[in-house]
Amino acid sequence: MTSTTTGRAGHSVAPARAGLRWDRFALPSLLLAPLLAVILGVVGYPIVRTVWLSFHEGEYLMTGAFNGVDNYTEIFGDPYFLAALLRTTVFAVVCVVTTLLISLAIALVLDAGSWAARIVTVVVLLPWAMPRVASGIIWKWMFNDQYGIANWLLVSLGFDSFRGYAWFNDGFASLVAITIAVVWHSVPFIAISMLAGLRATRGEVLEAARVDGAGFYQQLIRVRLPMMKPLLTILGVMSTIFAYQSFDHFLVMTTPPGGPSHSTEVLSLLTWLQAFTVLDQGVAAAMAVVTFVLLAGITAVYVRLSKEGA
Amino acid sequence: MTRRLIVYPAMVLICVASLFPFFWMIVTSLKPDTEIFTVSPQFIPHEPILSRYTELFSGAIPRQFLNSLLVAGVTTVVTGLIALLAGYALARFNVPMKRYLLIVILSIQMLPQTVLVIPLFVVLRNTDLLGTYQGLVLSHLALTVGLATYMLRSFFMDIPVSLEESAMVDGASRMKAVRLVVFPLVWPGLAASSIYGFITSWNELMFSATYMQQSSRETLPVALQQFFSSYYSDWGGVMAASVIFTIPVVVFFLLVQKRLMQGMVAGAVKG
Repeated sequence: MTSTTTGRAGHSVAPARAGLRWDRFALPSLLLAPLLAVILGVVGYPIVRTVWLSFHEGEYLMTGAFNGVDNYTEIFGDPYFLAALLRTTVFAVVCVVTTLLISLAIALVLDAGSWAARIVTVVVLLPWAMPRVASGIIWKWMFNDQYGIANWLLVSLGFDSFRGYAWFNDGFASLVAITIAVVWHSVPFIAISMLAGLRATRGEVLEAARVDGAGFYQQLIRVRLPMMKPLLTILGVMSTIFAYQSFDHFLVMTTPPGGPSHSTEVLSLLTWLQAFTVLDQGVAAAMAVVTFVLLAGITAVYVRLSKEGA
Repeated sequence: MTRRLIVYPAMVLICVASLFPFFWMIVTSLKPDTEIFTVSPQFIPHEPILSRYTELFSGAIPRQFLNSLLVAGVTTVVTGLIALLAGYALARFNVPMKRYLLIVILSIQMLPQTVLVIPLFVVLRNTDLLGTYQGLVLSHLALTVGLATYMLRSFFMDIPVSLEESAMVDGASRMKAVRLVVFPLVWPGLAASSIYGFITSWNELMFSATYMQQSSRETLPVALQQFFSSYYSDWGGVMAASVIFTIPVVVFFLLVQKRLMQGMVAGAVKG
C-alpha cells in the first residue's frame, strides 16, 4: 500500500521535474545551439585566428613561423598604413557629422508631419536598399568629368572652374565624392531612427515648454535633443563604425583601388589588398587587429553610454 | 503657414536627393550613347533603347543573377531559422549569462569584415568550401544572424507571455502553443529579419569577391564590380547592369519596409 503510494508519487513528480529541467535548461540550450555554433564557428574562431596570424609570417597566404610583433612594427613603420589610419579617421568623422546633421534636418521635416510625410518616409529609406556597389557606380558616373551631372550643375550655378573637373584625379576630390556617396547611403537609416526618437519626445515636457513660450529652436535645443541624448550617442557610434568599415564604395569608385597613388586608401581596403593582392596575410591580420581594437574601443563606449542613458 | 512654406519645399528637396540617383541610373541605361555623352544632360531619353538589357540577358548576367538569388535565398532561410529559435529562447527563458550573450550578438554587428575575411578564407580552403555556394552562405551568416536574432527577440517580447501560458494551461504542449499561438503573431518579425538577411547577403561584396573566383559562380556584386572595372567607358551598359542588380532589393524592401524599419530601429534604440 505504502509502496504503491510512493511509487505513484514518484511517478507523478518525476515527469514534472524532467519537464522543468527540459523547460529551464535543455530547451533553451537546444534553441540557442545553432546561433552559438554560428557565432563560435564563423565569428569567434576567425577573430582568434586573426589575432594568432598577426603574430606569424604569412607570405602567399601560407602560415609561416612565429615572428613576434614584427608585423605590428612593420605596419606602424609603414607611412601608407599610418596615412590610411589617419585618412579613415578623418573620413569617418566627416561622414558622421554630415550624416547626423542631414538626418536631423530630414527627421525634423518629417516630424512636422502632414499627409505627405508618410510617403516621404518611404522615399527617404530607399537609398538604403540600393546595393552599395551600384550606388558607387552611379555616383562615379554623376561625378564624371566631361558628362557628369554634378559638374553640369556646379557650372550652371556659376562655379565655372568645375567645367570638365576631374574629381578622381586627385585624392582629396575623390574623397569628397566618395563621402557624398557614402553619406547618401547611410542617411536613411539614421534619419528614420531619429524620427522615431523625435516622436518619442512629444508629451508633457514638450507641451510644458511650449506653454511657457519656448520657440521651435528652444524646444529643440533645450528639451528635445537632450531627451534624445542616449539615442543620438548610439546613432553617432553606429555610423562611426559603419564609416570605418566602408569598403565597397572605395573599391568601386577609385582606380586603381585606393588610387591615384595611394591617396584614397582606407583601412578596410588596404587590409584586403594586403591579404589578397600582396598576399601577405600576417601583415594584413595585424592591420585587421588594429582596426578591430579601434572599433572595439568605440563599441565599449557605445555599450557604456547606452547603459548610462537607460 | 510659414511652417508649410519651409516643410513642403524641404520635402521636395529630400525626395529629389533620394530618388535622383535611381532616376538617373534608369534613364542612362535607356539612352543611346549619343544621348548619354552630351555636355548638357538630357533628362528624358528621346529614342529610348532596350538593347543594353537584351545584350546583358544574353550574357552571363542571368547565371550571376541566379547565383546571387541562390546564395541570398539560402542565407535568408537559414538566418531566419536560427534567429527564430534563438530569438524565442532569449525572449522567454532565463538563459545564464543572457546579458553578455546579447552584448556579443550586438557586437557582431560592429565587427570589421576584414577581421573575418582572412581566417574564413583559410577555413574554407581547408574544408574545400572555397568557391562554393555553401561556403559563401556560411560567411554571410556571420553578418546576418546577430541583428536578425536581436530583431526577432524584440518581436517575441512584444507578444504577451500570457497567450502561450493560457494555451499551455489548456493542455497544449509548449511546441504546440508556440506553433499555434505565437508563430502567427511573430511572422511579420520573421519576414522583416529575413528581408534584412536577404538584402545583406545580396549586396555583400568583400567575401563574395574573395571567395568566389570561378566566373560561373560569381554573384552579382562581384560581376558588376568587374564589369565596371573592365568596361569602364560603357556607362549605359554598366547602368543597365546596376538596374538589374538593384530591382530585386528595392522591390523586397518596398514590400516590407514598415516592419523592417520597426525591427531595425528597435534594435538600435533598445540596444
